[in-house]
Order: sequence, then structure tokens, then C-alpha cells
Amino acid sequence: MCREPDLDIYDVLLRDFPFLLKGLGVAVVLLVALLLIGFVLGMAICLLQLYGPRTLLVQWPLKVYERVFRGVPIIIMLFIFYYGVSGIYDISAFAAAVLAMGLRSAAYQSQIFRSAFQSVPAGQMMAARAMGMSKIKAIRHIVFPQSARHAIGPWTNEFSSEIKETSLAYVIGVVELTRQAHYIITSTQGNVLMVFAVVALLYFVLNRAGNSLLYAFERKLAVPGFEK
Amino acid sequence: MTDDLVLDVRDVKKSYEGLEVLKGIGFGLRRGETKVLVGPSGSGKSTLLRCINHLTPPDEGRIFLSGEEVLEKNIDAMRARIGFVFQDFNLFSHLTVLDNVRICQVKVKGVAADVATERAQQELERVGLGDKASAYPAELSGGQQQRVSIARALAMDPDVLLFDEPTSALDPELTGEVVRVMQKLASDGMTMVVVTHEMSFARQAADELIFMENGYIIEQGPPQQLFSSAANDRTRAFLNVIAEHG
Amino acid sequence: MLDFLRFGIEWLPALLKGVPLTLALWVIAITLGCLLGLILCWARVYGNRLCYWISTVYIELFRGTPMLVQMFFIYLGLPHVGIVFDAFTAAVIAITLNSAAYQAEYFRGSVLSVPRGQMVAARACGMSKWQAIRHIMLPQALRRVIPQWSNEAIIELKFTSIAYTIGVVEITAIAQDIGSRTLDFFQVFLWAGLIYLVLTSTVASLLSWVERRTHVPGVTTN
Repeated sequence: MCREPDLDIYDVLLRDFPFLLKGLGVAVVLLVALLLIGFVLGMAICLLQLYGPRTLLVQWPLKVYERVFRGVPIIIMLFIFYYGVSGIYDISAFAAAVLAMGLRSAAYQSQIFRSAFQSVPAGQMMAARAMGMSKIKAIRHIVFPQSARHAIGPWTNEFSSEIKETSLAYVIGVVELTRQAHYIITSTQGNVLMVFAVVALLYFVLNRAGNSLLYAFERKLAVPGFEK
Repeated sequence: MTDDLVLDVRDVKKSYEGLEVLKGIGFGLRRGETKVLVGPSGSGKSTLLRCINHLTPPDEGRIFLSGEEVLEKNIDAMRARIGFVFQDFNLFSHLTVLDNVRICQVKVKGVAADVATERAQQELERVGLGDKASAYPAELSGGQQQRVSIARALAMDPDVLLFDEPTSALDPELTGEVVRVMQKLASDGMTMVVVTHEMSFARQAADELIFMENGYIIEQGPPQQLFSSAANDRTRAFLNVIAEHG
Repeated sequence: MLDFLRFGIEWLPALLKGVPLTLALWVIAITLGCLLGLILCWARVYGNRLCYWISTVYIELFRGTPMLVQMFFIYLGLPHVGIVFDAFTAAVIAITLNSAAYQAEYFRGSVLSVPRGQMVAARACGMSKWQAIRHIMLPQALRRVIPQWSNEAIIELKFTSIAYTIGVVEITAIAQDIGSRTLDFFQVFLWAGLIYLVLTSTVASLLSWVERRTHVPGVTTN
């Protein structure tokens, strides 16, 4: 298989590096989109679970939603959305990936937010209400700033795992980083090891960069009593 | 007749799951008065205090603040005028001491930020913590936290201050600083209802002692009178035990 | 709905044939991952500087890169330097190595959460360091780690589906195959999703049963 001299792979990598970067760009856009959907929907689910009506009609579907999206592999979800939605409405692989991964991230983020809200002692809400704050004001000025500090650590973990899972959008044909790597390999028959090492490095750097940013944010928010 | 009362509690009843905790409690408070609620644990003192500002909404009875009834629909506005000091302080843990004392002035009463800051600083001086304005609650001792929470309540300019066992969560050596602040407030003419086991405070600062048991007010009167010659056996027994151990 | 059921009756038996391989892949990989994870954890907590650094770099690398890339690296990349695995072995290795990095971190967290006094007290009783680890630290650390470990085990169970990309004939691959035969990808993946849901739910209840059985008052996370 490995007929070409090793040197070639560096030339190939250098020549095709823009494609890898383009793939990385697609991965980043996918990541941002899915995290955004996950954030908004996850927050809505969490608020409904904590402060919404306690009726089974509301709470049960939310529970099932979380169970299903947390219990089924993302690859299967990607296929279900890709083939399922395209049966009704012509949807690009990228859009299907954003949808499947965003909805799944919501199931994870809702749980992160929920335990963050729950780790704010009940006395904080009580004190705020006793001072005359409305429930909304108390959530906004007291509960929310504190739970944000509890949530940011676990949220950083979620960010990390989602970066890595964007690679799985490969299976429905989204031309992200891993797919670009595959293109390079099939076109060159070159040293596959090297290509994947570079791809791995790109993910690693992206992950690290994202984490450092979030850690910096966490440190900025840290106050005595809310250290890591 | 009752118009000069700052706080007027009339026939308040409260049950939890069939168990009647308050069985019809009434008392009044004139401007500048301090009343101390005492009684064995489970007698309903804390519940009564929480009924006053509807942290625990009463089942029956009425509560008037300076002649205006405390109701579910005006509760936020009324609470802004009823200071409440918790047993476990409940300072907002993500805010500095100064912001703790400022935030509800700004967000609830709509006071301008600089006015609120000035007022907050004043109240912190008043409880002897002017130098701790930029600290966070986690950096303070329990006694200091409780004094901040008193300053936080004072900054709202409340008609009345309610204290729910303010020294019970403190180490014994820290209760003194909080009690001294409370005594100063009482002698400055603050209107206060205090649930406490600190009999030294009751003796020196209370205009009236209210003894509660099993959801009833058993006896009330000036502290000297109750301490020396309570009419009721149970009052006497309770005050004797407290006096020995407290 | 009826259509969906009819499809299920026809193809479910074929899909279920993938379950043993999925489970085998999962059990082997998390078991090996557990052993390697314990070693990595030991190296990071009790090891010398060299052990610490090797373990740390390993953990960071495997946690910082996608499983899919790791699997491709092992199955498609390593043959270029003369190391060849069949697809199943490659998948086992990839999941093992990946899972070990996560398990090591969970073990480490739980070991560090055992109060220092426990080790000191064990040594003060005359136990050797090994005895103290074996009889005092490990039983407490393992109890504390169960909730996180359960999460990790379930994540890896779902990750076995990635093995389909290198041609391991587990549930996802069979679903893919049925899909291309019936051209009804949507239904077949719904059924596959249902199978995975049953598997993950069963494993989750099993592990939470273990957690309850081994519970000792006072020894919990947090």
C-alpha cells in the first residue's frame, strides 16, 4: 500500500492543509450552532422542569426527551435526522447534523443547568423574596449569577465532548475535518498515519483553545465561596 | 384604635399537613417597640415570624403594616418594608458585602446607584463593618455575616425588623457582637420583633416578652415581670430552664 | 405506525444479531479500560515524576481528540508502519485506550476525595502502603466513583457504534446494511435507536442497582 516515499506526505499535507482548515471551519460552525441550540433549548427545558407546571403532561415528555437523546448513540440520531427529516423536507447533511446534535446537546445541557440551579441553596431565593424581589427578579439577580458559576465547569466538559463528536457528522457526509482527512487519504494513498496525526492535533488544539477560554471566563467569574 | 400600630397581627392560624402550628395568634407593635418571642422549639415562633411577611402564607388571620394589610397581591412591596434577618444569614454569596446591602435598594426600591452605595456604606458603619465593604460573604465570620445581613435589612428603611433566631447558628463567642448591634438598634428606636434564646437581650432590650407554646401565646408582659413573677407555671418553668442554660 | 411495526417484525431479528457483538466489544473494552485506567490513575496519584508525566500526557491526548480519529488512526494508520489489526481488535483497542483516559480521571477524582486522614489512620494501624490502598483507600474510592463510572460506561456503550465506520458488524453496521437493502434508512435506524435505548437503560438500571447495593452511609460523592 505504502509505495510512495515518506517525504511525499509532507508535501501532500502542505498542499492540502487549506482543505483541512476548511474542514476545521465547518466543524467549528457545526459546534457553535449545536451548542447554541443546546443552550437555548436546554435552558428552556431546565426552567420548565424547575419552575414550570408540575403536571405529568409537561414533565413526562421532558423526561422522555432527555432519556431518549441521552440513551441513543449520536451516530444513530444523525442517521434518523438525516433520513427522517429529508423524507419530509429536503435537508442538507449539515442541517441534519446541527439539528440532531443540537437537540441532543439540549438534553445534556438541561441537566447541567438543572443541577447548577439546584446547587444554589434555597435560602438565597428565600432571602431575595423576603427583601421584596419578585420571583423573576430573584432568579435574574440572585439565582442565575450563582448557578452560572456552578454550571461553567460541567459546561466546559460538554463543550469538549461536543467538539469531538462533531467528527461523527462524517457518517452522514458532512464535509468536516475528519471527512476532509479521508479525502486526502483516498486521493494520495499516502501515509495515513501522518494525516490522522495532524487531524488529531487540530482537534486537540481547538479543544485546548476552547477550554482555556472557558477556564479564563470561569476565573473571571470566580469569587470567594465560588472557587473551582 | 389600632392606627398607631406599626405591626398588627390578628388571629393568625397556620397548619402543616393537618398539624396546627399556630392556633390564633395576635399581637401589636408600636413604633420604636421591641418585642421578644420566646418559647420551646416547635412552639411556632419562627412560623409566626414567617407568616408576617408571607414567607409562609398564613391560613387565616390578617396582618397590617402601618395600617395597610399585607396581602398576596402587594406582597413584594410589603416585604420591602419588612426587614427580615435569617438564622443562617442567607447573604447573597456571589456579591460583595457592599453589593449585598445595595442590590435590593436598587432593584426593588429603584434607588439611584450612588445613593444606594452611600446608604449601604452608612449601614455597614452602623454595624461596625465599614471596612469590609469589598469582602465576599465567604471571607467573613458568621458574626460578621449576620451583621451584614442586619445592615442589608436596615438599608431598605423598613417599618419593622424581624429577627429569626439571629444568633442560633453562631459559635458562642460570636453571638455577643450580633446581640450588641441588636441592642443598639433597639435603643435607637428601631421597631423590632425578635425570636431568640438570648435572655440577656430580652432582659435589656425588650419592651415586652411574649411566651409561646403549642401555637398559642401563653403570656406576655414586660421582661422584668415575666422573669420575676410569671403568672403561668409553664412560662416560669421555661424561663427558669433558659436562664440556667442560656 | 403499523408500517413501522411490520418493518420491525421483518427486520428486528436481523438487527438483534448485532447485539452480542456490540456487547462483546463494550464489555471487553471497558474492562480493559478499567484496568488501564487504574494503572494510569495510580501513576498520576502515587507514581514518580516520570510516571506522572507519561500518564498525564496520555490522558490529555486521548481526552483531547475524537474517538473516530483514534479508531481511524489505529485501523487505517498503523498498517502503514506495519502494525495490522482486524477491525474488531482495532475497535476494542480504540475504545479501551479512549475509555482508560476517562476512567483514570474519574478514579483519580474519587481517590483524591477520600479524606487524607484515612490513609494516615491506616498507616498508623501498622498497614503497609499497599495494604492501606487495597483495604482502605480502594473500597472507598470505588464506591465514590460508581456514579461517574456508570456514566462513562454508558457513553462507551454508545460509542461502540463508531466501530461500524471501520467495518465491525455490530448493530449500526447491520442497520446500515438493512437500510441499503430496503432503502428505508429512517425506519431501520429508528429500530436500531430503540435497541440502543433498551441496552443503555438496562445498563443504567443495573449500575444504579450496584450503587445501591454497595452503598455505605457517609461514603458518597460530594
